[in-house]
Amino acid sequence: MQKSASASSLGPGGLDLSDIFFKPIQNTSPPSPTKRHTKISVIGVGNVGMAIAQTILTQDLADEIALVDAQPAKLRGEMLDLQHAAAFLPRTKIIASTDYSVTVGSDLCIVSAGARQIAGESRLNLLQRNVALFRGIIPPLAKYSPGTILMIVSNPVDVLTYVAWKLSGFPSNRVVGSGTNLDSSRFRFLIADHLDVNAQDVQASIIGEHGDSSVALWSSISVGGVPILSFLEKQQIPYEKETLEGIHKAVVDSAYEVISLKGYTSWAIGYSAANLARSILRDQRKIHPVSVLAKGFYGIDDGDVFLSLPALLGRGGVLGVTNVNLTDEEAQRLRMSAQTILKVQSQLGL
Amino acid sequence: MQKSASASSLGPGGIDLSQIFFKPTQNTSTPSPTKRHTKISVIGTGNVGMAIAQTILTQDLADELALVDAKADKLRGEMLDLQHAAAFLPRTRILASTDYSATGGSDLCIVTAGARQNPGESRLNLLQRNVEMFQGIIPPLARSSPDTILMIVSNPVDVLTYVAWKLSGFPSNRVIGSGTNLDSSRFRFLIADHLDVNAQDVQAYIVGEHGDSSVALWSSISVGGVPVLSFLEKQQIPYEKEALERIHKAVVESADEVISLKGYTSWAIGYSAANLARSLLRDQRKIHPVSVLANGFYGIGGDVFLSLPALLGRGGVLGVTNVHLTDEEAQRLRNSARTISEVQSQLGL
Repeated sequence: MQKSASASSLGPGGLDLSDIFFKPIQNTSPPSPTKRHTKISVIGVGNVGMAIAQTILTQDLADEIALVDAQPAKLRGEMLDLQHAAAFLPRTKIIASTDYSVTVGSDLCIVSAGARQIAGESRLNLLQRNVALFRGIIPPLAKYSPGTILMIVSNPVDVLTYVAWKLSGFPSNRVVGSGTNLDSSRFRFLIADHLDVNAQDVQASIIGEHGDSSVALWSSISVGGVPILSFLEKQQIPYEKETLEGIHKAVVDSAYEVISLKGYTSWAIGYSAANLARSILRDQRKIHPVSVLAKGFYGIDDGDVFLSLPALLGRGGVLGVTNVNLTDEEAQRLRMSAQTILKVQSQLGL
Repeated sequence: MQKSASASSLGPGGIDLSQIFFKPTQNTSTPSPTKRHTKISVIGTGNVGMAIAQTILTQDLADELALVDAKADKLRGEMLDLQHAAAFLPRTRILASTDYSATGGSDLCIVTAGARQNPGESRLNLLQRNVEMFQGIIPPLARSSPDTILMIVSNPVDVLTYVAWKLSGFPSNRVIGSGTNLDSSRFRFLIADHLDVNAQDVQAYIVGEHGDSSVALWSSISVGGVPVLSFLEKQQIPYEKEALERIHKAVVESADEVISLKGYTSWAIGYSAANLARSLLRDQRKIHPVSVLANGFYGIGGDVFLSLPALLGRGGVLGVTNVHLTDEEAQRLRNSARTISEVQSQLGL
């Protein structure tokens, strides 16, 4: 078993008890190779990356966590801060390096790294800088873990998931973006809070672009199995389209609200990514709105585009996309969302 | 049931379904009053406070979590960022206010607020500023939750736990400091990593001041029940006192190492505080090295708080274990107590 370099002797110039503390067993042979050892790599140790890594650690989702970042001091500090909690957690191996070889053999690689928008910078320019960054991230990840699942969190997530798919050469079931999983959670929280009901009993999806052109699937919202819109109609409660749009806008704006108040978001996206990690690695076959290759679904035929659709997730990655019944308007908005993303993608030259 | 203010109608100028979605049941009466509703308040939403709050949330330790800070925007942002994860967590009520009334009825109050050291500022001056800050924090906490347990995390934790005890008027079993719980975890991690053994099978305490004069209880270290020092002696493996002191020093310095690398520490203290919260609120009767009123233990006289191996449960500090100390360890512990008393005496409390 490998130990961290500092542990070969206890303390500087210190004691080495490791060979004598335990008496070895004779005539051993290795057991059946366990396929249970789960390794997750997190790329980028900023607020988002660390919230994801720490939540994964607390929820005991992995046997090994590898952290990668370009800043070695920050990286080492974050690794130590997690390791120091060893007495309070199930045993998890935590390693960190600026070198991607540390990610080898990962079952899941979560990419949170991304350039920050400079004041006055165009969205396209920011995107081009992120594509350049991904050229240094995705190919080594794919090289060291050719069977891994790639989860992209960096924004703009839909375009960057497409970029990751292209740069990795992976089949599309193994490349997924965190997409609107969190938007949907915020949507469910708003509805659940209003009805004073557990948010897990609220089914509600926001799909499409993780951004301004996202689509709230009003026709599919249900609480404890009761579809909301038909409930309103049966109770003869009038509602206006503008009201629904106001609610959707509140969800889209809530990320900006958190950023304006505390400077960034971290905890919610941490829980969202850990939730996706769990569905994938524990083969939960749960349906999540995440950014997947949308070509061929819901009349999206114009090109290779990633956007959020309700996807069945399990150990094999994206196992399928659910056939939600969309209203004509929802379907139209979804196709417009796809167009918006394709326009941006076409300027990247990939 | 109270809802967040924004939830009274769904969306701005929106729909109000709350009265009609559920048909109320008739002829109801309230159930037996549950004593199970657990409320934890966290004071200070900086890196440490939020790591503690988020770990408590992930580990499902409370039904209600209240956050308090002086900065209203930051506070609201942190509250929303936790609330937005509702679909991924067991249902926990999360509220936040700059007003201490939000902490009413807490079972446990965790104080992380503290002034940052200005360049060139003396330790005593920093301490005096923190005492002043505590005068605005502890009395309202005690008023809003007269039966709560106070857990102090802010540094210097031993002196500030004493200050909290004085300002709250609480009995000493209900005031503790996070103390050397984390130092001991780092100590156990070092030993466990070296032996490639689970850290939870390593018993190892650092006690005394959470600081330079802390005391590593070498004579009490065991792994899987095997006392390490007598093991070395039986195996006739020589070791030097200096080697042990270097290991202890490495533990003391590891906090500074993390700070120099990432700017602060957060995750480990978050897990440490959540671990203590669990032992207290779930009545686990576990032994933790935490800062307690040490008067009368191990020959320590005078009102001073420092870390001793303490039995923790729902009643707070239930007792202090009678660890066998070597003469040297006992002397170092008393020196540690004196160091802290000296500082305390300059505070005029």
